[in-house]
Amino acid sequence: MPKAEGSDAPATAASRSTEPKSKKTHRDTAYDSGKTSTGLWWTLFGLILITTAATRFYKLDQPDHICWDETHFGKFGGYYINRTFFFDVHPPLGKMLIGLFGYLDGYNATFAFEKPGDKYEDYPYMGMRAGCAIMGALLVPLSFLTVWEMTFSLPAATFAGVLILLDHGMLTLNRYILLDPPLLFFISASVYTTVKFHNQRHRAFSFPWWFWLSATGAMLVGSVAVKFVGVFVVFLVGFRAIADLWEILGDLSRPVSYTVKHFMARALCLIALPIVLYMGIFYIHLRVLYLSGPGDGYFSSAFQTHLEGNFLHNASTPREVAYGSLLTLKNSITGGGYLHSHMHLYPAGVGAKQQQVTTYSHKDGNNRWFIKKFNKPTPLWNSTDSIELVRNGDLIRLEHRPTRRNLHSHKEPAPVSRKHYQVTGYGENGTGDANDVWRLVIEGGAENEPLETMRHKFKLVHYLQNCVLSTTKKTLPKWGYEQQEVTCNPNLRDAAAVWNVEDNRFPRLPNVSFSAYKLNFFQRFFEAHAVMFSGNAGLKPKDGELTSRPWMWPINLRGQFFSAGEGVKIYLLGNPIIWWSNLVFMAFYLTLLVVKSIRDRRGIISSPHQKALQERALSACGWLYIGWLLHYVPFWGMGRILYFHHYFPALLFSSMMSGVVIDYLVESIPPLLPAGIRNSAYHLLVGGIVSSLIYSFYLFAPLTYGMSNGPSTEANSTMYGMRWLETWEF
Amino acid sequence: MGDTEVKNRKVNRNKNKNEKNKEIPNPAVDPRDEGDGESTPEALPEELTEEPILKKSASPKKSEKKQRKAGSATAGQSLADLPTLAVTCHFNLLPMLLFGVALATRFYALDQPNSIVFDELHYGRYAGLYQKQTFFFDSHPPLGKQLLALAGYLGGFQGDFKFDKIGSSYNASVPVFAMRAVPALTGSLLIPLVYMIMLQLNYSQWTAALAGFLFLFDNALLTQSHYMLMEPIILFFAMSGVLCVLKFRALERSGNAQAHSYSLRWWGWLLSGSIFLTCALCVKYVGVYSYLLGLALVGHDFWEKVLGNLSLTKKQVFGHAVARFFAFFVVPLMVYIGVFYIHLTTLVNAGPHDSAMSSAFQASLEGGLSSIVRGQPLEVVHGSQVTLRHAHGSPCWLHSHAANYPVKYADKRGSSHQQQVTCYVAKDINNWWIVKRPNRTDLAVAAPLDRISHGEEIQLVHGITGRNLNSHNVAAPASPTKQEVSCYVDHNVSMPAQDVWRVEITNREEIGDVWHALESMVRLIHVNTSVALAFSGRMLPDWGHNQHEIVGDVMVNQPNTIFNVEEHRYTRNEDEKDRQLELMTTDFIPLEPVVMGFWEKFFELQIRMLFISNENVQNHMYTSSPWEWLVLTRGIAYWVSPDSNAQIHLLGNIFIWYSATIALAAYCSLLVFYLLRQRRQCFDIHEEAWNQFRTTGEVLLLGYVFHFLPYFFVDHTLFLHHYLPALAFKLLLNAALVEHLYYLTRLVFAKQFFNWMCVLIVLTWMSGILMVFNKFLPLCYGLGPMNATQILDLKLRETWDFIVHKP
Repeated sequence: MPKAEGSDAPATAASRSTEPKSKKTHRDTAYDSGKTSTGLWWTLFGLILITTAATRFYKLDQPDHICWDETHFGKFGGYYINRTFFFDVHPPLGKMLIGLFGYLDGYNATFAFEKPGDKYEDYPYMGMRAGCAIMGALLVPLSFLTVWEMTFSLPAATFAGVLILLDHGMLTLNRYILLDPPLLFFISASVYTTVKFHNQRHRAFSFPWWFWLSATGAMLVGSVAVKFVGVFVVFLVGFRAIADLWEILGDLSRPVSYTVKHFMARALCLIALPIVLYMGIFYIHLRVLYLSGPGDGYFSSAFQTHLEGNFLHNASTPREVAYGSLLTLKNSITGGGYLHSHMHLYPAGVGAKQQQVTTYSHKDGNNRWFIKKFNKPTPLWNSTDSIELVRNGDLIRLEHRPTRRNLHSHKEPAPVSRKHYQVTGYGENGTGDANDVWRLVIEGGAENEPLETMRHKFKLVHYLQNCVLSTTKKTLPKWGYEQQEVTCNPNLRDAAAVWNVEDNRFPRLPNVSFSAYKLNFFQRFFEAHAVMFSGNAGLKPKDGELTSRPWMWPINLRGQFFSAGEGVKIYLLGNPIIWWSNLVFMAFYLTLLVVKSIRDRRGIISSPHQKALQERALSACGWLYIGWLLHYVPFWGMGRILYFHHYFPALLFSSMMSGVVIDYLVESIPPLLPAGIRNSAYHLLVGGIVSSLIYSFYLFAPLTYGMSNGPSTEANSTMYGMRWLETWEF
Repeated sequence: MGDTEVKNRKVNRNKNKNEKNKEIPNPAVDPRDEGDGESTPEALPEELTEEPILKKSASPKKSEKKQRKAGSATAGQSLADLPTLAVTCHFNLLPMLLFGVALATRFYALDQPNSIVFDELHYGRYAGLYQKQTFFFDSHPPLGKQLLALAGYLGGFQGDFKFDKIGSSYNASVPVFAMRAVPALTGSLLIPLVYMIMLQLNYSQWTAALAGFLFLFDNALLTQSHYMLMEPIILFFAMSGVLCVLKFRALERSGNAQAHSYSLRWWGWLLSGSIFLTCALCVKYVGVYSYLLGLALVGHDFWEKVLGNLSLTKKQVFGHAVARFFAFFVVPLMVYIGVFYIHLTTLVNAGPHDSAMSSAFQASLEGGLSSIVRGQPLEVVHGSQVTLRHAHGSPCWLHSHAANYPVKYADKRGSSHQQQVTCYVAKDINNWWIVKRPNRTDLAVAAPLDRISHGEEIQLVHGITGRNLNSHNVAAPASPTKQEVSCYVDHNVSMPAQDVWRVEITNREEIGDVWHALESMVRLIHVNTSVALAFSGRMLPDWGHNQHEIVGDVMVNQPNTIFNVEEHRYTRNEDEKDRQLELMTTDFIPLEPVVMGFWEKFFELQIRMLFISNENVQNHMYTSSPWEWLVLTRGIAYWVSPDSNAQIHLLGNIFIWYSATIALAAYCSLLVFYLLRQRRQCFDIHEEAWNQFRTTGEVLLLGYVFHFLPYFFVDHTLFLHHYLPALAFKLLLNAALVEHLYYLTRLVFAKQFFNWMCVLIVLTWMSGILMVFNKFLPLCYGLGPMNATQILDLKLRETWDFIVHKP
């Protein structure tokens, strides 16, 4: 990637010369002479590249055990190598890349990735780490180039690069087998390509223009396909595109059709292309993972028939359900279990002391139920009576096969959800009472439509109480073997009340292969999304659990241990100097914006040089600020569990913004001083800022590269005296 | 679009402007100058209505011709020149009529059903608690409940009725009519209010009346206004505020704005606007969106008319800024605090929700904590028996019980296997601890008292099991990075007792160095390892009875390490058995209550209201999501008669709701269309019409967005009635759009016939609304009896869940 940038450098130099003249004419003072030198540009850029590589790869193999979420993503990456289907709440691209890195390194996915702290021993983990580290390292040159393209100011670009380069948070987060390095890479690449594209605006429809536009689209897909939070950068690019179109529309020298053409080009590259690529990623994901694995249970029965090794694969059952069939019923919500009962009673004090009914996610003989007419006993399989199909709206009873008790509900509170009714197994040898009668309601089914295995989802409505058989997904206490609660919910619209027939045995009906139930790619694609979204929505903090809240993030209030056990300790924490000054610079930007707007409004005129400086800083900061807002504010409204590292995409923007603001400051403060010391003041300022950044990096470096054991209160600790905030936990 | 047309259009508008300036002295009084839109003449004399009009056309050539013709034939184009239906109404009969009907519908059978309907359960109960001056905790501000309570007081309510469940009958002691009259009256006043708002936005009185009509005949607004609920009150305040702000804007934007500045009227509208909007906020926090709308409008005008007015001096600009700051920040704060002042000075008795507040707050209430703290000793001494309450967030008390930590946890870590120490959310005998000096063995308190002060070392003996609070370098059960806290059991495994703790009083500046019950916030620092006793926020699994975990935390300076003594008494008996008996049986010794100032109470209440939400109803059957509100997917069952299917069900007038949603979409599309066209310098409508259209967007569309969008980002359980404030703006927008469409018809078609068609369509639409209103009326009043068929007949949508419990 840096190489590709290099080949493009002459172009940037050329476009620089087309910049407004005002800039050059006012470049009269000594302090900013020589800034346009290509040599200096390359020196700085090269220096940043080298430092980045050095910091990113130094001690990359340490610690040599699983750190933090590597336990998930390393494992998931491995599944791509051994083709096992799994479930994760994030889209697949990040894990596919990790898998690819591992594959290139010769990793054969045999390491268990059991829990944080496990030693890697001889397993090749460095491929995956290095792959992630490279993606993470690219953030620095990308930020440098982004700010360069936005301002064409070398100091601004350098400061932006350095702020990201010297931040421990960015460094730590981007060195491990995590989704964040690819995510951050794609986000910053999207920003870079879109800025680059914007700068091609005077050469519309030329090759570079098309190239950068479609590159933007591709990078956007990357962000979204790594994690859904990548969607915020899509909004940023979208706003930018709308703003551009608005500009083009306002150009009266061109016909409207010209705007339409522009619009179509963007629709093609920023909407159509990404959709195709995104689907393509899922296509590969679903093609590659064809073996049954730990994720099966989250998906519908029909989905599971695709997975080799799953018992539904290549199985066959009758298509329709007839009275007398032996069934297993699966709850259709994400991760729903099978309707289950066993020879144990509800304990005293928990409703009626009758047989327990639960859901259970394992396959088991106790999941089997006979279906029978509400008014007839179980028909025998070998009888010669005519076969009667179960139809929508029928009144039925379900008889638990091993215990021969009927599925029953009555007006007693359910064991955990006291507002629902208890569901029990009741009766003897299949004889029960009127409370065993349920009405079968097929979702979206026509009247009298026969119930089909797998394909139909249905509800069971209790005939007398008008409630639906449902699971609350709450775990029962010990007496219920920690299976999940089944209740009869008076709210007939309960989303968890939908079931489907998974296994259906009835010898007198012909079996059809499960392949008849196979879903096409789009159905699987949409189901995978439904499952991911419900998985994400399910990540709620439990009662009383303390979670990281968005307000804590920008102030760097509390970090996150990556590796806390024996040996090296790694703590994810931002460089406080950078984080806190980011906030100051952001406040400065907002003040500058307000002051400038009021001054403009009141017709107060600044010097042209000052004005040009301000406009350059404000327009770049404006977009970066919107980017920061888009990546930060939505977290306030999220109910799901949040972590410190969710702030890092926003940090990218605020660090770039700080680069621009610092540039503005070092350009506008020295001219206020007497002419004699301007030059030295400028250099002093720049030097001071850079050296304090480097020093702070040195001070906190053990956070990233490993702290010694023992609390920081001890004098021999590597972090002695560095615990500036009580809330930092090292 | 060709370039030629662009030029033509541009010229056209300029020409219009010039001609208008030259030839028409503009006879109509600008209603905005008037300040009172009601007396504006709405239609021009008959002869003007037959003038030919500007016709929009597609081809450039044609339009050129037309315009030339139009330019020569008429004395310039202005909105008023278009043909109108000349009907003038001088007596303001319309608003009076609408108000009359509103009163009739809102007050009809107001005391029926004579039983608790939906949230009357809460609001009625709160009104009752006001009569009894009993403190209660609610996460909404109190103004609405105060109004209900006032009405109840005037109606002779003593607060003796027990609001137990929805559907219970009221007895004679509850002045149902008086209390329901508050929402009924505010709900009725809404109608003339919206009428005036529409006039203020420069719409004709017919449009204004149409807006009133939509409000009047919406079933949801009627239902909500008929019972003791907050929405009509909040809507009344919000709409009054918006009206005042609009009147203020009219002054600002009038020709001689300078002359009006700081006049009595100017101040009047500005201040009343901000006060009304603050009142909306004081009814429910969602009122803040109305306040923000008002703020945005006033701020926008300040930017445009004051800051942009270069003839004003710096000083004048500053003066205006200060005046607005005063009106929109200082005054609201005063009103808000005032409402709470009344709240806190009225509610002086302890009540059912005390436990939501801090111990000190509870002790400051009359009879508060009486069962536990009445007369307990103040100073903690050697031998004090105390319960230690975790002071931050949800309450729990330091607790231990005769069960040990499991030898191995589920994740295979080991523990010390000593006695569990937890934080327990209920008051329990096992919450008692005895404070002890490390070097003393006796426990009974005797004179002279051995007071414990800041910095001194103590041990804590668990009252029932007699074991000491201990901590050591073992990972805590649920937070492995923290240190385990246990009650020390000697297993003879070379694990010595480390049971000495240092007392740190964090608020000793106010309280002093001596440890006081209730008031002192203390932190217990473990002497051996320097960790602080802390609540970790995690829950222990089954073996710990799902109680909260207590740990030793390196992070000393955090709210989770702060405890205070809540219940306190002195040990009398030296013998352990007697002491335990004492713990289990004795009552408390009397002492004086805590005095807490208004500000302390105010701030504590604010923090608890903002951060503790107790209204998240899980699994409610009638919840709905913001998307569903647009198409009225679900209503809410409010009440059902015990003997028939007669019921009250909150449902909007589906005809109004759907047309309002369509109108919203149409308005937005038109707005985008006009903006895009204007970007190309094509001006399709008259400048006046555009200004009116734009102002409508600024006030009504923005108002709608402010009141609707935030719901997508909240994590609460939402109900249909949350939509009503947004709906109000949407209905106004609907009426506004009707007039705009009528204007467009006049612009496009020259013939009177089309105008009549328009009117006819609107009238048909209105009669449709009336029919739907009438059909669903029984659900608003709970009129009965109704049988199952009648109810099912109303079920127009599959997702409406009416209650059918009788044949």
